Amino acid sequence: MNILEIKDVVSGYGEVQILWGSTLNLQVGKVTCLVGGNGVGKTTLLRTTMGLIRPWQGSIHFEGQDVSRLPPYTKADLGLVLVPEGRQLFTDMSVVENLEMGASNIRARSKMKQNIERVYEMFPRLKERTGQKAGTMSGGEQQMLAVARGIMADPKVLMIDELSLGLAPVLVLALFESLRKLRDLGITILLVEQNVQMALAISDYGYVLSEGTN
Amino acid sequence: MGLTLIWGVMNVINLSHGPIIALGMFGSYLAFIKLGINPYLALFLIAAAGLLLGIVIYMVAVHRVINAPHLSSLLATFSVNMIIIGLGTAAFTTSPYNVDFSMGQIQIGSTSLLGTRLIAALVAMLVTGSLYIFLYRTRPGKYIRAVANNRAAAELMGIPSTQILALSFGLGTMLAAIAGGLIATFFPFSILSGGGYELKSFVIGVLGGLGNPVGALAGGLLLGVLESIIPAFMEASWVPVIEFGLFIVILLVKPSGLFGAKK
Ligand SMILES: Nc1ncnc2c1ncn2[C@@H]1O[C@H](COP(=O)(O)OP(=O)(O)OP(=O)(O)O)[C@@H](O)[C@H]1O
Ligand SMILES: [Mg+2]
Repeated sequence: MNILEIKDVVSGYGEVQILWGSTLNLQVGKVTCLVGGNGVGKTTLLRTTMGLIRPWQGSIHFEGQDVSRLPPYTKADLGLVLVPEGRQLFTDMSVVENLEMGASNIRARSKMKQNIERVYEMFPRLKERTGQKAGTMSGGEQQMLAVARGIMADPKVLMIDELSLGLAPVLVLALFESLRKLRDLGITILLVEQNVQMALAISDYGYVLSEGTN
Repeated sequence: MGLTLIWGVMNVINLSHGPIIALGMFGSYLAFIKLGINPYLALFLIAAAGLLLGIVIYMVAVHRVINAPHLSSLLATFSVNMIIIGLGTAAFTTSPYNVDFSMGQIQIGSTSLLGTRLIAALVAMLVTGSLYIFLYRTRPGKYIRAVANNRAAAELMGIPSTQILALSFGLGTMLAAIAGGLIATFFPFSILSGGGYELKSFVIGVLGGLGNPVGALAGGLLLGVLESIIPAFMEASWVPVIEFGLFIVILLVKPSGLFGAKK
């Protein structure tokens, strides 16, 4: 069963068209990965899926519901969550506040306590640094926090853009291991990766995006 | 403080700040003279009206230009400024009013302190304290900080950023209205007198670091101290010259403000 269906999506920035009809389906409870060269539009596809940019054409269905025109915060309420490229943490806020903000959507609020325990178990490093400003943490720690914040959103579908970027291989392996655990908890995952071999190793399905179509 | 909140959250310089201070003053006047409400109780009404007015101004005038270059938002808030002054002039003319209300005075050595001023200072501190607690301890307050810090990320996490921005603008306006309601208890005022206070707010905001509410209070205290000390050494008319001189020096030397705002 597909939990997310992206069909013939066309979009871009201003006048510039980037996606020329992209289609991608996510099987519920599986890890899917999306690879493709630099600048082909992977991030653009994720941003369009979340509603940060409007699709020009095509449709996006989440759990059978047409969500093509919904704003990002409503999609987060439904359980569609993106860990964006470049982390986009709340750099002026503390680690624990970032985690709290992750649990802003209506589904996640009541489960905050439980999810924070889960996240600290996965990333003990964060537990040691709850009071530190997110912007002052190391790159790897920030990446952990970005993923942790996504998990705090209690996602049904978790999309992660460039998880491994700038991280030591050991850490990447550990993060992939955590993702596998998440999948076993029933969370559907979409990985966008440059690190093709590692990504394919943990994925159940793979897509290649080339020249904006696939 | 309201000015600095709005700047901090949405990078909009709110030029309608002054007339809203003036509206706060008239709010206090109307409540006291026409309805016989104690000016301090009236602050609650003024605060609520300020919050609503701010949200309306945001939705009507500011929302559309929030991502536009600064000039657009300056013009938009300046238009709101002109509209309020125009309507206010029609309703109250530009002649001075005052709220004839006294809380006695306290004698400290050779200087005497008006009770109304003392209470105003206390209320200002109370409001700053509450604002701080609101921003750092409550969920909506943290949403405001999150949106200020990274609007797109806030949206991705499920925070409806437009509502949060409207709330922030409403709070900023509320603070200006409260300031007006307080000032009205000890100074005469007209619909135009907000302008002078708006300029002072800029100086204070820059002193304390725009976007930093506690810095704004500290900046305000500093300015207050300066204003009372300068006349001891020179003509009182030099006060604004010194203030704005200081303003420019700080902008040049430490643009993030004495108490270092973010960015
Ligand atoms: N805000 C923007 N305005 C205009 N063009 C943009 C914008 N963001 C991205 N682009 C362009 O869109 C194209 C696709 O970018 P996108 O970020 O989606 O690529 P990507 O597949 O994620 O690449 P990478 O693997 O390097 O992250 C690029 O040519 C890029 O220059
Ligand atoms: Mg990308």
